[in-house]
Amino acid sequence: MEYLSYKNEINDTFSSVREFSFKEKTTPLVDEDEVNSLLDSINGFKKKLKTKSSKIYQINERIEKLTWLNDLDNESLMMLNDLISVGKDLKSSLVRQYVSMGYLRKRGIAKEEIKDFKNSIDELKESCEDLESVFFFLPEMPDFTETTKRLSLI
Amino acid sequence: MMNIFCIDDFKVAFEKLKSKKSYNTIEKEVINYFFKETAQDLCSGTRLNHSSDSPYIKKRLGGSGGFRFYFLLIIKKEALYLMFVHPKTGAIGSDNITDESKAYLYKKVLGCINTKDFYKMTLDKTGKKLSFEKSK
Repeated sequence: MEYLSYKNEINDTFSSVREFSFKEKTTPLVDEDEVNSLLDSINGFKKKLKTKSSKIYQINERIEKLTWLNDLDNESLMMLNDLISVGKDLKSSLVRQYVSMGYLRKRGIAKEEIKDFKNSIDELKESCEDLESVFFFLPEMPDFTETTKRLSLI
Repeated sequence: MMNIFCIDDFKVAFEKLKSKKSYNTIEKEVINYFFKETAQDLCSGTRLNHSSDSPYIKKRLGGSGGFRFYFLLIIKKEALYLMFVHPKTGAIGSDNITDESKAYLYKKVLGCINTKDFYKMTLDKTGKKLSFEKSK
């Protein structure tokens, strides 16, 4: 009787291995459609990030151009002050987005796109700081304004 | 083409960067931008001093990260004075310079113009190398 039960157990194990072996031969672990779908998602993410970075660079350029405006009245300066605040707020939101991409960066996914996104945020910060310097800080520095006066005589 | 000059602060920073492998594109950046653009085209970037005749400009060059150039354009004299440069990224990179530094460079370039204490920058025959000649 004992031999019979051994044989049954061996037979059951054999059937399991046989079934599993057949399944593995006919169904590959990596499904092509699933891989394509994953790659499409990564490409979609890269495209979205590129568009976002490009928009930030455009904003930076527009902020930079404002430094070429002359003779601004108080109302315009107040508007610039609001713009600086909104720009800094935008920067904070974008930094949070960048931080949330940490797991992708660690795995080397969309590395170049994330790097460029970070650079565009850094430049946004720089543009806002420069705008503030040009209209609010440098004009308050006596040495700076004196140099401008003396330069106009050259 | 503009007459291009620089003060000592620029020359020192430029030579330091040029000697480092990760920043040695700086010479190409200077040649391609400052030696090839018109005065009108050079009026771009961040203007720091509200002057239309003698704009003091901060310009980003060199793509992502890149360099930050500070220069003064004296349009009626067709003269451009490079004052300082720093990289944005890498071992000796920095985000920005302080307003005090901006004011210091501005005052210094004016003093250098008045005492003719600057270098004339020219290109060699190949158009790929810069040379500096002291003006006094």
